[in-house]
Amino acid sequence: MLSCRALRKSYVTERGEVLAVGGIDLDVEAGRYAAIIGRSGSGKSSLMAMVGGLSRPSDGSVVIDGTDIWGLSDDKLAAFRNRRLGFVFQFASLLPTLRLVDNVALPALLGKRGDADIYGKAAMLLGRMGLGDHLDAYPGECSAGEQRRAAIARALINDPVLLLADEPTSDLDEQTEIEIMDELLAVNRELGTTLVLVTHNLALAEQAEQIVHIAGGTIAP
Amino acid sequence: MRWLLLSLALQNLGRRKARSLLLIAAVALGSGVVFTGAVLMQSIDRSMAVGFTRLGADMMVVPEGALTNIAASLLVVEPSELVLDADVLAKARITSLGRIAAQKIVRVEHSGIGSHHESADLVGFEPAQDFTVQPWLVEKLNRPLQAGDVILGAARDGVLGSQLLIFGKPHVVYGRLGRTGVGTHERGVFMSFATLEALREAIGGHGTKPAVLAPGKVTGFLAELAPGATPLQARFAILSNVKGVKVVAGDTTLSGIRQGLAALLDGILALMVLMFASMALMVSVLFSAIVTERRSELGLLKAIGARRGQVLGVMVTEAVLATGIGGILGVVLGVLVMRLFERSLVYYLENVGVPFLWIDLPRTVAFAVGAIVLASVIGVLGVLYPAWRASRRDAYDLVRSGA
Ligand SMILES: Nc1ncnc2c1ncn2[C@@H]1O[C@H](COP(=O)(O)OP(=O)(O)O)[C@@H](O)[C@H]1O
Ligand SMILES: [Mg+2]
Repeated sequence: MLSCRALRKSYVTERGEVLAVGGIDLDVEAGRYAAIIGRSGSGKSSLMAMVGGLSRPSDGSVVIDGTDIWGLSDDKLAAFRNRRLGFVFQFASLLPTLRLVDNVALPALLGKRGDADIYGKAAMLLGRMGLGDHLDAYPGECSAGEQRRAAIARALINDPVLLLADEPTSDLDEQTEIEIMDELLAVNRELGTTLVLVTHNLALAEQAEQIVHIAGGTIAP
Repeated sequence: MRWLLLSLALQNLGRRKARSLLLIAAVALGSGVVFTGAVLMQSIDRSMAVGFTRLGADMMVVPEGALTNIAASLLVVEPSELVLDADVLAKARITSLGRIAAQKIVRVEHSGIGSHHESADLVGFEPAQDFTVQPWLVEKLNRPLQAGDVILGAARDGVLGSQLLIFGKPHVVYGRLGRTGVGTHERGVFMSFATLEALREAIGGHGTKPAVLAPGKVTGFLAELAPGATPLQARFAILSNVKGVKVVAGDTTLSGIRQGLAALLDGILALMVLMFASMALMVSVLFSAIVTERRSELGLLKAIGARRGQVLGVMVTEAVLATGIGGILGVVLGVLVMRLFERSLVYYLENVGVPFLWIDLPRTVAFAVGAIVLASVIGVLGVLYPAWRASRRDAYDLVRSGA
């Protein structure tokens, strides 16, 4: 389902080139839960961004469900991200001027599929994340944990085949972290959505069917 | 989806109220100046064009002792008992004069024109020679002027083609003159010599008839200078060849003022262009700052699958909203200002000899729409480059650099 080959990413900075990911081969089978662990600065976020179609690799390929995503045109890639991928960021990532329910509905609205009851589904997903009474709330009125859960609901609105979460709980308290992880794992188990999760919580990583350890931009044995 | 992008743009504007208001105010000011300037310039331009072509006479030749009115832009003879022979100028063969048009003017009372006691100036002209009356026609019947036809000054009521009784004799309202800004003309009734002479019996009852109604007599002449001739040359030639006349030249200070006005208009135009350019610059600087500030949100939109065009759309919508609203406010402001200063402006211009004529409504509306569109275009242009650059960057870059 997910297959990365010789994936490399280097950033050009004033101090010269920084190699963040130095040639990674990675395969994740459909429906699996894979955990990516590694120290801060080891290149996990850079890898996730390339897999999620958010950051163009310096080299190598990412194939998801048979599609070489970085071979797509800009608009096709946008559509692919929209329909097939869900991304949960490490930090607050809701649009502050939209209500939670608008934020969750937005990817479906962007995809212009006029058929479904988008707002009904957005409300359902928010309800599932325990935010049923926060539909009309603005992000600024919600706690960090609530915002993160709304971001997960947003990632799920278009029924992605691959859900990518980059340390989604690193800035939250332990109890909230457990709740949110439960939601993600439930999505993986109940909907069969492939889940790739970056975490520094080893206990969480140990529940994964596949653990990828990254160090210095490459996969450590 | 549309309304969501729209409300996103609206709320983004609302997020920084002070800044948005400042932006809108600046654009309103700019487009207000452009709109008002354009309307005023066009109006003044039109007024001056009308003034020059319509007031074709450079000088007036009248009997010595006749009263004249040159306070206004038009050379106007006051009706009197003094007359000249109709061929007196032609016989003198004055080479420094170009076209010459004779006029017969009679002031009558109880004529049946207007209210009972109202006096009216009947102005006779020779249609073939005339170059000072007919250019003022703003509406007329669809046929040549004929005997029995009258032309009404702008301030007179009367439907085209309808009958007008003058001393009981039926006349047909052939046309109407535009506003001249000269009172006697505004209320005058114009007709050919033949039509006026036909009224001779009726005018003055059984008493003495006005001398000017006799064939071959006129109240005065309006004349153009021959190309290259100066008013002084013409005056000298006339006075030394024709006895008993007075020569009144158009007020030269007026043409000086007109030229000054033209220079002023050029200055205003330059100022408008500068104002416009600085507004465009300011808007683009502001919007590149806004785009920078919005980077993480744009990245986020990209991340959840917004196409580059949609990302651009959000920013362009925001810009067009702000500058469009500014443009509309500017036009409203301009209309208010023009309303406010209409009286003094019109008064001033008519004082310096320009009969002020506003441009017509459709053109004013066109200018208004133009100003609003222009303001919006400035918004689009201002935001397009920074937004386009941002939309090209990787979503992850945008999200990170904004966070
Ligand atoms: N946009 C960027 N510009 C320059 N260097 C970057 C950029 N993003 C990441 N890096 C560098 O790349 C390396 C990997 O970063 P990252 O992928 O965020 O690691 P992790 O998520 O594992 O902490 C780090 O050294 C980081 O400083
Ligand atoms: Mg990271």
